[in-house]
Amino acid sequence: MQAGEFKRPLQVFVGIVIIVLIGAVALPFVTGTASPAADNLASQQTDQSSVRVADYANRSAETGTIELDQTPQSKTILIDRAHGNQLDDEKLSTMVNALVKAGHEVQIASQSQARGSAWNESLRGADALVVVNPTKTYTQAQLAGVREFANGGGRVLLLADPSSVSTGGIFGFATREQSTQSTALTSALGVSAQSGYLFNMNEYENNFKGIYASGVSGPLADGIDRVVLRDAVSVQSASGQTALRTGEDTRRESTRRQDAFSVAVTTRNVAFIGDSDFLAPQSVYTADNEVLVGNTLSFLITGKKRPNVPSEPEPESERGAPVPSGPSGPSTPSGETITPLPR
Amino acid sequence: MDRDSTTSAAVNTTVIIAAVVAVLVSAVLAPVAYDFAQSSQSEGTVSVVSVSGPITDSRVDSIAEDLREVRQNDSAKAVVLKVDSGGGAVGPSERLYLEVLRTSNEMPVVASVQGFGASGAYYGMLPANEIFVLSSAQVGSVGVIGSAGTVPIPDSIIRTGPDKAQPTTEQRRQQIESLKRQFVNRVMDHRKQNLTISRERIAYARTYLGPRAVEIGYADSIGELPAAIDRAAELADMESYDINRKEPPQTRGFIFATEVNDRIQLYRQPMNGEQPVPVKRPLMINQVPYHDPGVSHNASR
Repeated sequence: MQAGEFKRPLQVFVGIVIIVLIGAVALPFVTGTASPAADNLASQQTDQSSVRVADYANRSAETGTIELDQTPQSKTILIDRAHGNQLDDEKLSTMVNALVKAGHEVQIASQSQARGSAWNESLRGADALVVVNPTKTYTQAQLAGVREFANGGGRVLLLADPSSVSTGGIFGFATREQSTQSTALTSALGVSAQSGYLFNMNEYENNFKGIYASGVSGPLADGIDRVVLRDAVSVQSASGQTALRTGEDTRRESTRRQDAFSVAVTTRNVAFIGDSDFLAPQSVYTADNEVLVGNTLSFLITGKKRPNVPSEPEPESERGAPVPSGPSGPSTPSGETITPLPR
Repeated sequence: MDRDSTTSAAVNTTVIIAAVVAVLVSAVLAPVAYDFAQSSQSEGTVSVVSVSGPITDSRVDSIAEDLREVRQNDSAKAVVLKVDSGGGAVGPSERLYLEVLRTSNEMPVVASVQGFGASGAYYGMLPANEIFVLSSAQVGSVGVIGSAGTVPIPDSIIRTGPDKAQPTTEQRRQQIESLKRQFVNRVMDHRKQNLTISRERIAYARTYLGPRAVEIGYADSIGELPAAIDRAAELADMESYDINRKEPPQTRGFIFATEVNDRIQLYRQPMNGEQPVPVKRPLMINQVPYHDPGVSHNASR
């Protein structure tokens, strides 16, 4: 086959390719190439007003100051950190700052102050006791000491949160539920807390667990229209009075029962609040929370405790180990003491 | 005489061989011809797009590309979403929702829930004209879950403001609440004709089994995938149709075990950097669907 014989087919091939390519280039100019308009569906489907949270109509104003009642003399408040208490430094500082600023002394009870007779000895030197979410059990002698302390005019503030769940493990997937061991202590003082957090799906502060409660009666409720509790449990007292009560459409998580739950109760010398988050700096000035903080601390410093209460404890055995009689623990409180500011 | 008989035998052999070859060739060509004849009678195509596994950016990229191809294909007349996902991150879930909405504005879209159609996956299928579920399918979980804050940033890192990379817990609550409201709003918008439960109940973020999901209006019918495909064709006025299946690309990964709630749980870590996902076990009653550890569509509004 001669090379010339390829010439004709090659011309046909090249000619067809050129015609097709020219046609492909020219076609868009003939038919038009305008891209179809894209509807802005994201904008159409978003109702700005309904998803705005910060400016929500019921948003609570963050204003006010913490004010404590005036007392003739300085009081000593013992804060329990000896029983694995779940109380972070931020909440602790809210209490300590307000008390110290008002001229009172704060003692932080360490573990060494909970051993043997040291616990009752610490109580004898205090005018009020604060216990927040203990995770270690109290011995019978300690419970008797706290009961005698309250009966002797010492003020006791109990704060209880729902069981907390923390994460851990190598990849952060492991979870661990931490519940408090306050049942024996609260029952010894005539108050109790129910399990399961409270929530409200209709009226809440940014989250369904951020419930509102109104003041009812008693020293804790003075001047309170509405407070915000971030993670609360219901509390009761047979002989006391309800200080704070939630709205009627509040529900308890574990049973889903709908009710107006009491979240703070007081007896003569005991105050029990089913939340500690109102002490967190982020929540202190929300709604009337600062009034609640002031009322709570005022309750602590306005008691009239008799001297030498509680009395010397009976010798006891802790975890089966014999304890020598007498002052076997430290004779002086070894915990941290925070003294009042110069006035 | 002998030569004639020899020639005749050769002819017969050739005929037989030709017949066998013809049968073989016909056997190969007949299905092609059948499909061609059938396709020539087809009025269009129902595209089946898979939405499976955690709703992530890369997964939604793939699904969005599939849906864009369907919208640009003149023969595609309807779409069926084959859903088996417990949800995922917020952003990809909203992107999926918008892509499905864009498609449903042009042609009928029917969702068919296989195992899970919860949280972000349910968000994504909301614009569908109809939702089919199996009796064992779990549907719902209308809400958002997310961490309360971020890991504290060390002082060695310089930031230009207190909220830079460090939102407060309250800011996170507000963000999650806003996202939840948007999710519930869109459920109300798209399912309001069918819903028999209140907005408050929706915000509880419960997951329902198929029959109950139909009762409360989260889904329209109990039915399997072929029923959903048939319904999509019906909505597109097609009696005869082709089916075009679009499966997601397979990704490689490795398996690892960790402890969850005092039990060993197997997770699969994809090699493309996505979040690890739990290895599925046989369906258990009240099994909680997987939710992304970051902000994801899952809880209440």
